[in-house]
Formats: sequence, C-alpha cells, structure tokens
Amino acid sequence: MRLLNVAAFFFAVASALLLYALNYDTRRLEAELQAKERLADRARSDIAVLKAERGTLARPDRIDDLARRLGLGPPKPEQFAHGREVSELNERELNERRGSADGR
Amino acid sequence: MAVDRDDVLIRGATAHMVSSAGTRAPLGHGATSGAARRRAEAAVYGVLFSAFMVVIAQLFVLAVGRRTDIALAISEPVAATSFSRPDIVDRNGRLLATDLEAPSIFADPGVVLDRDEVVEKLSTVLPDLNASELLRALSDKSRRFVWVRRGVSPGIAQRVHDLGLPGVSFRYELKRAYPGGKMAGHALGYVDVDNRGVAGIEKYIDDKVGVDPVHSAVLSNRPPVRLSLDIGVQHALEDELDDAMRRYHPEGAAGVVLNIKTGEILASSSLPRVDPTWPAQTLNDKRVDRMMGGTYELGSVFKTLTVAMALDEGLAKPDTVLDVTKPLEAGRFTVTDMHPSRKPLTVTEVFTHSSNVGAGMLALQAGPEKLRAFLQKAGLLDQLQTEAGAVASPQVPQRWNRATTITASFGHGIAVAPLQFAAAAATIFNGGKTVHPTFLRKFDAGTADGKPLISAATSRQMADIMRANVIDKDGTGRKADVPGYRVGGKTGTADIASKGGYTTNAVISSFLGAFPTDDPQYLTFVMLFEPKGVADTAGHRTGGTNAAPVTGELIARVAAQLGVAPQLEVVRQ
Repeated sequence: MRLLNVAAFFFAVASALLLYALNYDTRRLEAELQAKERLADRARSDIAVLKAERGTLARPDRIDDLARRLGLGPPKPEQFAHGREVSELNERELNERRGSADGR
Repeated sequence: MAVDRDDVLIRGATAHMVSSAGTRAPLGHGATSGAARRRAEAAVYGVLFSAFMVVIAQLFVLAVGRRTDIALAISEPVAATSFSRPDIVDRNGRLLATDLEAPSIFADPGVVLDRDEVVEKLSTVLPDLNASELLRALSDKSRRFVWVRRGVSPGIAQRVHDLGLPGVSFRYELKRAYPGGKMAGHALGYVDVDNRGVAGIEKYIDDKVGVDPVHSAVLSNRPPVRLSLDIGVQHALEDELDDAMRRYHPEGAAGVVLNIKTGEILASSSLPRVDPTWPAQTLNDKRVDRMMGGTYELGSVFKTLTVAMALDEGLAKPDTVLDVTKPLEAGRFTVTDMHPSRKPLTVTEVFTHSSNVGAGMLALQAGPEKLRAFLQKAGLLDQLQTEAGAVASPQVPQRWNRATTITASFGHGIAVAPLQFAAAAATIFNGGKTVHPTFLRKFDAGTADGKPLISAATSRQMADIMRANVIDKDGTGRKADVPGYRVGGKTGTADIASKGGYTTNAVISSFLGAFPTDDPQYLTFVMLFEPKGVADTAGHRTGGTNAAPVTGELIARVAAQLGVAPQLEVVRQ
C-alpha cells in the first residue's frame, strides 16, 4: 500500500513536471508562432508595397516616355511581315543552315 | 465578482485542511469501526467532489468572464472598423488598385497632458489640420480615442512620432492605393476613409464581390477583380485625348474603345481626369465622367442608326436615290444640310455627305413609331447599368411626331450618354446582335446572348458604308484612315442645346470608328466638347477635322496591341 502511495506520489510529481514542461513548451511554441505570423504579416505587407511600386514603375505613361526617348514607338503597319514572308524567311534560314552543315 | 471568487477559494481551502486533519487521526490509530471509516471516506469524497466543483466553477467564471473583458478591450480603442478590399487588375493582370498599410494617427484625450501644445506641434507637421476641432475633441477627457489623421505617409508618421507627444499614438490601417495615378480614374471610382467603395468599380466590389471588415491592417485574401480595361489601350486613349486638348483647345474630351464582339470596354476616359485618391475632385462639374455621367445630343453619328434601320426595314438600299436638294420642313423648323447638295444622293452618299435632310427623309419613311421602337430595341431609351454604376438616363422626346422624328434621325432632340450610344453602335457592327458594355473581363467570348436588332446582311452593308465614308474622296471621315487597318467611321458635329434653343458658337464634335471593317472587332468613339477652330483645321470645328484625326492616331497606336494585323496590300497601295 505504502509502495503504491509512494509510486502514486512520484507519478503525480512526474506528471506535474511533465505538465509544466508541456505548458512551457506550448508557450514557447505559441510565441514562436506569433513571431512567425508577424513575420508573414510583414512579408505580406512588403509584397503589397512592392506590388504597388511595380505597378507605379510599369505605368504605361512612364514606359511610353522612356521608350520614346530611346527612339521607339508604336509599330507601323509596314513593319509587319506577311505570314508567308515569315515562313519564306524561315525556309531560307533553314536552307542556309543546312548548307553550312553540309559544308562542314 | 473577484471578491466572490476569492471567498469560494478560501472556503474550499479551509474545508480541505479540516478534512485532511480529520482523516489523518483514524489512520494513525488503525482500529475504528467500519461505520466511522465509511463516514470518513464519504467526507473525503465529498470534499474532493466539492473541490472539483469549485475548480469547474472557477474555469467557467474565467472562460466567460475573461471573454467579455477582451471584447471590451477591443471595442474601446477601435472606434471604426475598416475594410480590406480585393485588388483591381486590368485584363492582363496589371495592377490598378490595391490596399496598402498606412499609419493613422490618433490621440487619447485622457493621456494628453497639454492639449494646446499637442495641437500646435501637430500643426507644424500637418499644416491643414483643423486645430479648433481637434482642440475641442481633446478637451473631452471622457473620450479615450480621437482620430487626428488617417492614412498618412510613413514619412509624416515618423515626423509626428519624433515630436514625442504623450497621448498621441499610431495604428496601422488599410489605405487604397492607385499605382496608375489618374488612369481610368472615373471608371475605378473611389473609397471613403474606412476603405469602403463609394463610386465606380470600387462600389461594385462592395456590392457584388465583397469586402471584409477588419480591425487592423489585414490584407484581403480574395482574388483580384479583373477588369476588361487594358491599361496599354487606356493610356493610348488618354494620351491621344490629351494631345487633342492641346491641339483643339476643347473644354473637355472623352473616348471609349469597345470590343464589338464581347462588349468589353478596353478603355474609357473623360478629360479633365479625376484622381481616385482625391475623391473631392469628382464633385467639380467640369470633371464629370462625360462618357457615363452626362447625356448629350450627339448629332450626325446618330445617322448610323437611322440608316441601319432604313436598310434593315427594306425602306431603302445603299444605292437608293433620295432627293435632298430641298430643305425639309419640321414644324417650326427647317432642316438643311451644312453643305447642301445640288443633286440627289444615294443612301450611301447621304451617309458620307452627312446629309440631315436625307437622314430625316429615311426616318420619315419609317415613321415615328418604327424609329422609336428601333431606338428602344437598340437600348437607347432605357437607363443603362454597368459595373461602374448607372449611366445617366437618356433624355428622349416625350411625343414622337414628325419634327422629333426628323431631328432624332440626325441626333438632335434626343440626348444619351456616349457610352450608351457606343454600345448601340457596336450592335450595328456585331452582326446586328445587341452588345451590352461591361467593365469586367469576359472569358467566354461569345455573342450568342445578344438579341438581334438588325440582320447580319444589314450589319455587313453598314460596315461597308462606314468604310466608304473614310475612303471616298467626298467622305467626311477621311482623316481617320490608317493604312492597313481598314477603318470605317462616321463624323458628328452637334450644336449644344441651351435654354430655348441651341448655342451658335459651341459644338460637340465626335467620331465613331470601327475597325477592321471586313470583320469589325473594335469600336472607338471620340468626343471633343467645344473645340476651337485652329489653323490645323482651317478654322473648322467639325468632327471630320478634329475628332477624326484623333481617332486615326488612336487606332494606329492600339490596333497592333489589340491583335489586329494590318493588311499589307492596302498599305502598299
């Protein structure tokens, strides 16, 4: 009986310690989780800011101005090649490549 | 409540001590009667049970009591709930509006020591602060929360922080940001200080898409709202209209680019523009959205509808000849042409010469009832709803008689919002099936839902007549032509209605364009409000001299972006 009591006592103390450790662990994890969540929140907020900044940098009026300074402009109709011309171009290129390969 | 709880605890503890003292005695002696032992056991169990009950009660009190405390703690300083909103992106996913975290400044009057000093120092950083109002709010010590300024820049917040004023603190809130600045400002609308949509697409998001109430700066998890707008086309349109403002000095300008097949609005602009970040601007009459917020007598562009109706009803063919040499009597008025023709004109020529008399004759052939029914079916007589809000109600003749029929045939005596007219015109080129304009990206491109207004054959004829108006040497729309892109169009020059008649010195000039006319895909409608005659236009203010070249330049710029390939045979000719 006494042995049982002693065992029960130690069991109680052990479980108390375990509980304490668990409790402590939980708190630590909770704090860790909160820190991670804060980090994620900050990252999300940073993403939002970066997205908005990218949106501002990619404004068509800004790009337009930069492009025109570089001498670029909207494509003119005569700058378009007809479908057949493109395929002929490809064929010619292919033949040239083939020719150079044969030469080798 | 706390006193009660302690009382229970103390009583429980005392009971426990008494019982443990009581139970130790019988164990020590080892010999007592069974009845006494059972009593002692019962007492121990009773004590244990009551202790458990105390613990349960305690837990219950803690659970219930604590929650109310927390709720109070939250609701006290957070006076207003803000809303997190989904992003708005254009048809290609480029950002138009997003939420950003921004610091807001608030004060706690209970903690503020010297309110004069606080107000004075805050005014150095925020010069437009309403000092007397803040002073009054701070003098009420029963309040624990007073907004000083919401949604300031991080720089301003830092400067206020550096003032080191006790009782002045910060909260992070969501603030709507528009990376494109003024771009598409009218369509986007704006939000209030709580980040709730008030006008335009922003209001549509509140009503139909949904926003989430938040207590702090929590960004939305909702997928972005994808609009039909293409910021590349939108910029081109705004840029060309800006250019037109410089060249022809109008009071305002407006334009729209519409996908004829789907009704998607690719660009819609009204100058002067509004900045969604400064909603107060929209209250200025001059900055009204001329595309949707106002109705105008649009003039000769309306002939597109009149001629389409006449052709579809079988009242005339493109080569039917009409005698337009004499003015047309319409009640008290006499309708004449700007450049009266000395010979009879075909229906196509009536269109390309923009003959009011010819259009009036076609409308009279149909009769008031048919014209009214046609305009009704084209959706011009009822208010149009879009995602960016309701379009201004059309103003239509109360009685359809000979005079109103004639004037309506060339766009006078009937005032509609330009967007509504553009949609009706798009119907003419959409194989005759009605087009409903939308600001949202459509992924199921189809026209099956549109009700037929005119036949596909008439639609084809109209596209050819529009093209003729741009390539014929007598056509009014010659300046809109862009080599390779097969542009068709109709000019409009409308006198502006004023009290008791029309002003003689101001017009609204416009150009309705469609391209490529062999299979119309896109419709443009450009309007200039009260343009001035300049050297470029030889002093003229007609749509053919100003709105037409603006349209030509616009199409030259956006056609390739929109995936319309130029026909090189036409270019080389």
